[in-house]
Amino acid sequence: MDERDLMSIVESILFVSGEPVDAKEIAQLLKMDIRSVRKLMKKMISTFDFERRGLQIIMANDTFQLATRPEHSTYIETYIGQERTKGISQAGLETLAVIAYRQPVTKSEIESIRGVKCDYVINSLINRGLIQEAGRMDAPGRPILYCTTDLFLRSFGLTSLEELPPLDEISK
Amino acid sequence: MSYIVKIDQFEGPLDLLLHLISKSKVRIEDVSITQITEQYLEALDSLEQFNIEIASEFLVMAATLLHIKSCMLIPKTKPSLENDEDNDPGQELITRLKEYKMFKEAGAKLRERERYFSGVFYKHPEKILAEFDREVFPEHINAELLKEIFIQLINIKKNNVEQKLETKLYEIERDTVTIQEKASLILDILDKKNEFTFFSIFDQHHSHLDIIITFLALLELLKENKLDVWQNTVYGDIRIKRRINYG
Repeated sequence: MDERDLMSIVESILFVSGEPVDAKEIAQLLKMDIRSVRKLMKKMISTFDFERRGLQIIMANDTFQLATRPEHSTYIETYIGQERTKGISQAGLETLAVIAYRQPVTKSEIESIRGVKCDYVINSLINRGLIQEAGRMDAPGRPILYCTTDLFLRSFGLTSLEELPPLDEISK
Repeated sequence: MSYIVKIDQFEGPLDLLLHLISKSKVRIEDVSITQITEQYLEALDSLEQFNIEIASEFLVMAATLLHIKSCMLIPKTKPSLENDEDNDPGQELITRLKEYKMFKEAGAKLRERERYFSGVFYKHPEKILAEFDREVFPEHINAELLKEIFIQLINIKKNNVEQKLETKLYEIERDTVTIQEKASLILDILDKKNEFTFFSIFDQHHSHLDIIITFLALLELLKENKLDVWQNTVYGDIRIKRRINYG
């Protein structure tokens, strides 16, 4: 099997799955080592981009998913006759930013940065699947730690946390 | 100068402070605590409705600002520069404001990305992943077999239609069988034979309807006291005899 055969197989798997497929799963299926899978997927992503296919392969934390391109959103929305779901609130975005850049982080740390209570907004971010609990801090009261999810990366077009736009750090 | 501030348009006291600072067009580091405290308290005063849950956080900030202001009036006891930096509540507030501003801006950047990437659509997983069942798709099925099954179905339907036609013909026949006819048939037999059994009337070609009508005729004659009947076992044959006293 040459590379094009492998890509063809992976494409059909991504289609059937719909959801993100882990690089490990692909490696197992194709009896390849994980490094070759990552190399193959990188090539596949750039092939899709180069050929200006209507679908793209979204990479987030070593998972791969077929999706439409944001450039086509106006046509797709007209076709399905539906507006986009409401975006995240200002409070939600601020909280998400704190969690994204400071994770894993406790609720009280978030609240001290934002200067307001964050119970409600944290719950709604969990319900949207953008953040999740990440164990507990080894401190009095063992407070819950929060971190972002793979869905967060995909929703914001990031392949990993390293791709977050740099913060204008405070000069100390 | 005072202007109306709606508190619910801010994400908290730090947001309100940032707004006031940007209004006065100074950098956060250069802000005058005295001036900002005054503006902050004015903004709180202008609140028309006092929602204690939202306002409590704003009140804490007001207290902090007043605390900082009062600290600045008291002469410093420790002249050490390093200590000064660490304990200066004004400096601490400025650090917090800068940190908050940083995340607020990061949130705004995230909003742009969210708006763009919310136009990406995904497909749901194929249903077969959950319900795949090989028995639903037997492997020996092919187009030829489908054709045969279709022809069989068509034939069954044709037969049904023909059968329906036959039934209609039979129904017309029903009108020719009456209880009176069957009653006189029974009496005719009784004229020839003193005794006979119910089943002996029928040959193989009799229909259910025939049997039922004959049975009804039998009951009718029984009611008219014209004959006697015996049945030895359930579902057994019925012996029929002319009633003697009737003559």
